[in-house]
Amino acid sequence: MDSRRAELRALEAEIAALRRACRETPAPVGDTAQARTSLQEIYRLDSQGWGTSKDLRSHVGHLESELLFLSRLTGINIINYSKKTEERASTKMAEESLTKVLERHRLSGHCQMISFQLEFQILEIQNKENLSSVITDLNIIMEPTEYSELSEFVSRVEERRDLFMFFRSLHFFVEWYEYRERTFKHFQEKYPEVVRLSEGASSSSMTVQSASLPWYELVIVWRIQIDAEGKVLPKLDLLPKVPKQALELDKNRVIQTAPLSFRTLLSVLGIEATLESLVTCLCPKEN
Amino acid sequence: MEPARAACRGGEPRTGVLAHLERLEAEAIRSRKQLEQQAEESALESKINKLRSLRDQLRADVKRRQATIEASTANSEPNRMAGIDEPEDLQRKQENMKGILQAYHFTGLSGKLTSRGVCVCISTAFEGNLLDSYFVDLVIQKPLRIHHHSVPVFIPLEELSAKYLQTDIQHFLFSLSEYLNAYSGRRYQADQLQSEFADFLAGPLQRNPLCNLLAFTYKVELKSQSFPFCARLMYKDITVTLPTDVAVTCQAGEPSTSQEEQRVAHENLFRSKPLHQVFALFAKKGEKLDMSLIS
Repeated sequence: MDSRRAELRALEAEIAALRRACRETPAPVGDTAQARTSLQEIYRLDSQGWGTSKDLRSHVGHLESELLFLSRLTGINIINYSKKTEERASTKMAEESLTKVLERHRLSGHCQMISFQLEFQILEIQNKENLSSVITDLNIIMEPTEYSELSEFVSRVEERRDLFMFFRSLHFFVEWYEYRERTFKHFQEKYPEVVRLSEGASSSSMTVQSASLPWYELVIVWRIQIDAEGKVLPKLDLLPKVPKQALELDKNRVIQTAPLSFRTLLSVLGIEATLESLVTCLCPKEN
Repeated sequence: MEPARAACRGGEPRTGVLAHLERLEAEAIRSRKQLEQQAEESALESKINKLRSLRDQLRADVKRRQATIEASTANSEPNRMAGIDEPEDLQRKQENMKGILQAYHFTGLSGKLTSRGVCVCISTAFEGNLLDSYFVDLVIQKPLRIHHHSVPVFIPLEELSAKYLQTDIQHFLFSLSEYLNAYSGRRYQADQLQSEFADFLAGPLQRNPLCNLLAFTYKVELKSQSFPFCARLMYKDITVTLPTDVAVTCQAGEPSTSQEEQRVAHENLFRSKPLHQVFALFAKKGEKLDMSLIS
């Protein structure tokens, strides 16, 4: 009996110690939703280390958490960065002196699942009154993988030498990309018997097909476009696939006008409700 | 009853009914105590079992947390894992990290930690020209709060922060950056027109603070004659740098056919190219302008 009591006490002590350990070690950050909300936590963790010993090691630790904080704040992770500076011989005009500095930057990192590598030059011209900085050359290297929607955008950004637009549009692209993925997944899980994602989770199209009407198929193509000003916009289209005989019987041209009606529905209901109504149309009725 | 009777028979012969009852009572108390003890023991047992499973759960949790920490530190700093933590390595690492911190400026969003939160710096540029930066000083608490900022009043900061500041800080910052970059870009174009192509302008360029409404009169040489045009550019969407509405009118009465052609060509140019680039074209092509514009 006493030995049992002793065991109980030992267990209670161990649990208390483990609880303490849990509090002290931060929870693993897995998904992005958690990553987005934990800004406060990182900040708190970081500020605790402030004002303590000023040696190199703690300084490095501080820089480390500042970097972590910035990557959470912006959603952009910079992994490598290097810079070379060369001073151009200043062209001496009669009365004003110009100083030109050319910097070569190289930077790589990722924004969620998309990796990038950038090379750019910045020319700084300093005269008596002001300093102007111009990006004179911009090269973006991205792996030509599944994000074909980005390739045209990348060449336009290079042409415009607009670095900030690159990161901004990339962020909004990822936002839409994740939203598309979530939405498609939601419908596939909710209506597994009629919804199919042909290219897996990161598919850009969703097929709706009912078992009771196997020759009739609706394909929803959801592209994410980036326009000339860097604006990221979703573009959804409906492609009905119907056998010829059925088309001939379609006197009211319902099928032919479906893509247009789909657009109208989108502008009225929004994406989720439009897809929902479309899918439920082809769902086998409960009763 | 059996044991009681046996005790009575073989034990003490002088005992009466009362003693027998006493003995019975003692017996009952003893068995009750035994039952209580058993119950207590089983309660203890089940409590121990519960605590054991809780401990195992906690142990696993701690292990998982430590594993992720180790994994993340192993990723970011292989040096520490290998046990080489020499001052030179630290020094190099420090320089490297300082560089990366600075490199965040090139994303257009950067920040410096303050005693209360973070001061976010939003940089703007137009086609490679690095322009003004703006700051938003955030107090990190729940809810997040903007303490100070240098965002111009005509940028809808209130609206943006009400919509996104608490729910999605990244979206908030990038949206704000979009507004500020568009504003900077429009202003840069107007400034360039005024400073670089003043010769083309007849009178001052008029603009509102947001620079989304520009009006000016300009002259273009046409068959060695100078013709004045009035332009009015409107940017209905204030997150863009190209006008949504363009109106060019001929100032001198009824326009000739060539003037009308010019007018339409100019409208198309203003709609599709940055303002100062249109004037750079005017300057370069001079009289031959009409030919290239029609195509």
